[in-house]
Amino acid sequence: MMDVIFAKWHVTISLMPFLLQGLLMTFKVSIFAITLGSTLGFVLGLLRTLGYRSLTGIIGLYLHIFRGSPYLVQLYIIYFVLPSLGIEFLNFDSFTAAIISLSLYTSSYVTEITTAAIYAVPKGQEEGARSCGMSKAEALFYVVLPQSLKMMIPPMASIYVVIIKSTAILSVIGISELTRQGEVAILRMPGDIMFVYCLIAVMYFIYCYPVLRFAKWAEGTFGSIGSVQDQES
Amino acid sequence: MASIKRMTLLTAVVLSMFFMASVALAESTMQKIVKSGELIVAVQTQGPPVSFVNKDGKRTGLVIDIMEMMAADMGVKLVLQDYDWKGLIPSLSSGKADIIAADMTPSAKRHMQVIFTEPVFFAENIVYALKTKGFKSWKDVNKAGVTVGATQASSYASVAKKFLTEAKLKEYAGGNPQTFQAIVAGRVDAGVSDRASVAGLISQNSDVKVLEGTVNKEPLGFAVRPDSLHLLHALNNYMRLIRHDGRLGKLVDYWWNSTEWEADHK
Amino acid sequence: MSWLNDLYNFRIVGQYLNVFIDGMITTIWLSFACLILSFFFGIFIALMRMSPIGFVWRIAAGYIQVIRSTPLLIQIYLIYYGLPALLPFGNLFDETQTAIIALTLHTTPYMGEIIRTGILSIGKGQKEGAMSVGFSPFQNMYHIILPQAIANITPPLIGQTAILIKDTALFSIIAVPELMGAGLTMFSETVIATESYVTTGICYLLIYVLTLILSGFAQNRLGGAAWRSN
Repeated sequence: MMDVIFAKWHVTISLMPFLLQGLLMTFKVSIFAITLGSTLGFVLGLLRTLGYRSLTGIIGLYLHIFRGSPYLVQLYIIYFVLPSLGIEFLNFDSFTAAIISLSLYTSSYVTEITTAAIYAVPKGQEEGARSCGMSKAEALFYVVLPQSLKMMIPPMASIYVVIIKSTAILSVIGISELTRQGEVAILRMPGDIMFVYCLIAVMYFIYCYPVLRFAKWAEGTFGSIGSVQDQES
Repeated sequence: MASIKRMTLLTAVVLSMFFMASVALAESTMQKIVKSGELIVAVQTQGPPVSFVNKDGKRTGLVIDIMEMMAADMGVKLVLQDYDWKGLIPSLSSGKADIIAADMTPSAKRHMQVIFTEPVFFAENIVYALKTKGFKSWKDVNKAGVTVGATQASSYASVAKKFLTEAKLKEYAGGNPQTFQAIVAGRVDAGVSDRASVAGLISQNSDVKVLEGTVNKEPLGFAVRPDSLHLLHALNNYMRLIRHDGRLGKLVDYWWNSTEWEADHK
Repeated sequence: MSWLNDLYNFRIVGQYLNVFIDGMITTIWLSFACLILSFFFGIFIALMRMSPIGFVWRIAAGYIQVIRSTPLLIQIYLIYYGLPALLPFGNLFDETQTAIIALTLHTTPYMGEIIRTGILSIGKGQKEGAMSVGFSPFQNMYHIILPQAIANITPPLIGQTAILIKDTALFSIIAVPELMGAGLTMFSETVIATESYVTTGICYLLIYVLTLILSGFAQNRLGGAAWRSN
């Protein structure tokens, strides 16, 4: 029994530097993508509520394309297919491609959340603000948005966890994130494949669990618009 | 209806943008290498002994050594880019890398997209199984009711389809360690792989053995883009050079035909 | 049309058409099976999660947190390779069954959380009304609360279904030949990235559109006007 524990401990110690390096990469990519994707998604979600029909249509098409196809396919098209078109600025290196594709993917979810949160503020709020003499923009920025931002926090946190876990796919374009580092380690110690997968799971848990706890806490504190993946109506 | 019209228009605009973008390739790949002083090579981390990350966190293996030697002789800097198997050929076609250095079989369909060098080394495809299964030769596996595992859409899977026609094939997208694990867990009766890759796996688990006989032998080569003719000839020339001055043989003996490397890198 | 053939070679895709169709059929039926199973287990998890008994809701909450904090890829591996080692009858399940078990286990917490929000969205008056006309707690849940809750949560349920369909793409790691596997097979044999992956993407979008159309019918039948005014 002690032998087994010692052996596993040895494996853990010798793999830890690699796994931590992978976790750092996972952290880096996910933070970039979450920041950029949320900004883009927020703007798109806002534009969608303004009621310009063609704009709403285009954003709707964008959302359907990104939500209807697996992220792996999107990543491939952005990294490998776009450069074959011969347009110079579409020729990304792998880190840029990872961040761009993951940001676009994130934005498709954040757009839904933003739209849902803005619609969740009762109409009376905007009407009240307008009747006090505020312009449409003032009503949006001073009355509606502050209320909807609060409601956006819990579902956003859940989406962030989904995005963090999506980074596992980035290994196909050579990003050494956590899953990749684990699989490289497995090649060196194929006998401990299950143990290494368990270690990877624990590392993801360490990163994701606090985010989920935060979502839980935020839901209690700020209220919520309901569930995460609100579909457009 | 209006929305359908809008989407059609949008699609047409996007498509015509792609259409108008024309491909302009000015200099050859070799000229680019000479100019930039960098040889960009796509490799995969498929595991020892071809290409892997050793105990010090350094990428090493048979193909890495060959490429390092060539870059040093050319006097250029070697830039290694690590891809998953699925990313190798796209990385070459899209111009992200100049050469693919991996254990790739030059199949007829693949050479419609890239050009392969002359064989660099050869793989011996074998069948392996748990000792308790009681198989002796690989031919014992070829009967109804036996399941074999192989990496999805790999040359191992093609070998299984061609030579183990009676057995049922299960294709695992993961790779050799995952297929090996499926055998240890009893998910399949036997696996197909090459002798060198399995040697590394078996040294970790003595319950598994390689069955007698070699199923077939396959040449493995490096690949370049179809328009990189100068680079292709340079690679072929270099392989002839190191084959005849004995350096290639030495590397192949160290990595591929023995487990000498394990002492230094495991 | 030759410029179109430069972008997308129909001849080669045609050679793999039956592989893609088989893959699509597998993806659709696997998704459907996982959807039904995870929805029913989701109701149980939601009810457990709302239970006043500490022991019961803690188990549900722990299960939800662990599943949501770890990637599906790792969960599939652990179930596929780990189950035979832990349970003597672990090998009873073949690849397809293991895939269904793993994805159901993975999706149930998400379904449970959606259903729980739906149940919480039903006013207290509904329950009190049902109790006062002599409904048992089970009858109350089955006839009054759940139908309204489910009608309220159709949009997030459809969103989760879209995610579930995409999640089946991971099944090729345990040798289940689904749609992504079809794309990978075509790519590995022909090494034409554009056609292989664009075709795979189009097939997934087709399934997604199918889901949207079906859910349109479902919404009309389930909620009708009451749902829309929400």
